[in-house]
Amino acid sequence: MQGITYGEIDDKILATLSPPGKLYYLMLAGCATGILIGLACWGYQIATGLGVAGILHPVMWGTYLINFVFWVGIAHSGTLISAILYLFKARWRTPLARSAEAMTVFAVSTAGLFPLIHLGRVWIVYWILPYPNQRNLWPNFQSPLVFDVIAISTYLTVSLLFWYTGLIPDLATVRDRASGIRRKIYGILSLGWTGSDREWNHHGTAYLLFAALATPLVISVHSVVSWDFALGIAPGWHSTIFAPYFVAGAIHSGLAMVLTLLIPLRRIFKLENILTMHIFENVAKTIVFTGLIMGYSYLTESFISWYSGNATEWAIFHWRATGPYAFLFWMMVAFNSIAPLAFFFKWARSNIAPLLVISILINIGMWYERYIIILSSPAHEFDPYSWGMYFGPTWVEYGIMLGSFSLFSFLFLLFAKFIPSVSMSELKEDIPPPMRG
Amino acid sequence: MKNEGLIGVFKYLDDLVNALEVLRKQELKIQTVYSPVPSHEILETLGVKASPVRYFTLIGAMLGIATGVGLAIYTAMQWKFIVSGKPPVPRVPYVIVAFEFCILLGVFWNLASMWVKSRLPKFRVPPSYDPRFSRDRFGVVVLCSEPDREKVKGILTQAGAEEVHAANG
Repeated sequence: MQGITYGEIDDKILATLSPPGKLYYLMLAGCATGILIGLACWGYQIATGLGVAGILHPVMWGTYLINFVFWVGIAHSGTLISAILYLFKARWRTPLARSAEAMTVFAVSTAGLFPLIHLGRVWIVYWILPYPNQRNLWPNFQSPLVFDVIAISTYLTVSLLFWYTGLIPDLATVRDRASGIRRKIYGILSLGWTGSDREWNHHGTAYLLFAALATPLVISVHSVVSWDFALGIAPGWHSTIFAPYFVAGAIHSGLAMVLTLLIPLRRIFKLENILTMHIFENVAKTIVFTGLIMGYSYLTESFISWYSGNATEWAIFHWRATGPYAFLFWMMVAFNSIAPLAFFFKWARSNIAPLLVISILINIGMWYERYIIILSSPAHEFDPYSWGMYFGPTWVEYGIMLGSFSLFSFLFLLFAKFIPSVSMSELKEDIPPPMRG
Repeated sequence: MKNEGLIGVFKYLDDLVNALEVLRKQELKIQTVYSPVPSHEILETLGVKASPVRYFTLIGAMLGIATGVGLAIYTAMQWKFIVSGKPPVPRVPYVIVAFEFCILLGVFWNLASMWVKSRLPKFRVPPSYDPRFSRDRFGVVVLCSEPDREKVKGILTQAGAEEVHAANG
């Protein structure tokens, strides 16, 4: 970004908000169709009962919980890039941060739908909230499922407010260049921001504290999600390694999703001189790090199950690697911990094709990691009499899954056209201010 | 005597900072400084104190801990169920509830105090504001009485202001 001026940054980023072409509307229509299919499947499930999903005893958590954990995981890199790297003053994060934060908000919103979809009677979901009622019944605050409700709703609220707070100066920039109804809407959204010394002073402190509060939150959220499993006594789940293992996995999948989304975005909006290869290279290096943690976790988990001498624990790991899920298990290992090793080589980090291919492989691998964890343990518990398999996904589950991916893409497409996808004020901060001397 | 404002528009940050130094030395009243980016140079020259938002955030976070623990204990004490001989009010699980509420209320107070201290939301931008300030120009609004107008104009022009005009447009 050498030699670029404040004005050129505005021009470049604001150009992404210009009226879109036919392809954009076509993609938007495709996503809207996917959402409608998902809604129709959910409606059918509500009308017919949960039996239409492939959830049967003993595997009572099917793809809904897999997608829930997957989307929460995707959300994590947004906070890593926007909050943790902000605290570490990693300047390469700036062009990525806005899109990654948007990804966080949309991914958590999508994730939050799955526990609702998994409920038989979704209209009484408010029973999980602590509100006074005539029967004096309260949620159990010792339950990991209640932890989950609190953690995910806190994460969604904090991510949304963090994103919005960072957006305010940029919304004011859009307002100042817009006219008519657009000017009014952006004027309301920017809260009348003027960039005065008073506003920047309080905004800077608030943003820093947001980052400081979001950092432990992001670690807590996926730890809490992992405890949905680890606090149960099922073999393969009941392990203290789960919290760090899930957090690393979440960041791993989230970083991969950042690459998957931003590589096309960069090309479509011609942002090559802002989203530079250097930035993608840094993301790839971070993926090597998280990939190594994943590989280490897989090894440690298996080693502990053998070394503990616990027969059921060892049996589940043996079954995962050699039983009916063996193909998916080894695919998970290959995609999540071996494929990212290619990023040790500079050619893989600095070329679009390997970056995109490996990021997609990681996305697939991480989805199947949740598949293996969530479906295999209840299928192969202590008593062979109660063993069973998950015979899904059914067409209803596929439809809802399609709906969730469509919803996420739909929201991201709207974001890319209505909100500056790169933070102009932060980019300006990263270049030397205009000086006469 | 009526106080009126003058606004100076600057292209360069160092010119603006020089102007601010002279204005402060001459004890002229600087109402607002606009800039497209946060600038430590501007805040230091103006002698702006650290934002109190941090104290409000701390208060919010502490209230959050109290709310989380209080809610969990209150609800557990409604029935006092003893499961496997364990106390109805456990300590370890409630740390998680307290932590999440701590972050949630801390963030609410952080945001609310930022809005209050920054006087947001504003329903319309002040007349002295120029849309160029969100792009690539800096601005300073100086309150001055009629006899001081020429002096202020001179300071701003000499420092390198591109234009100087009445702040109300």
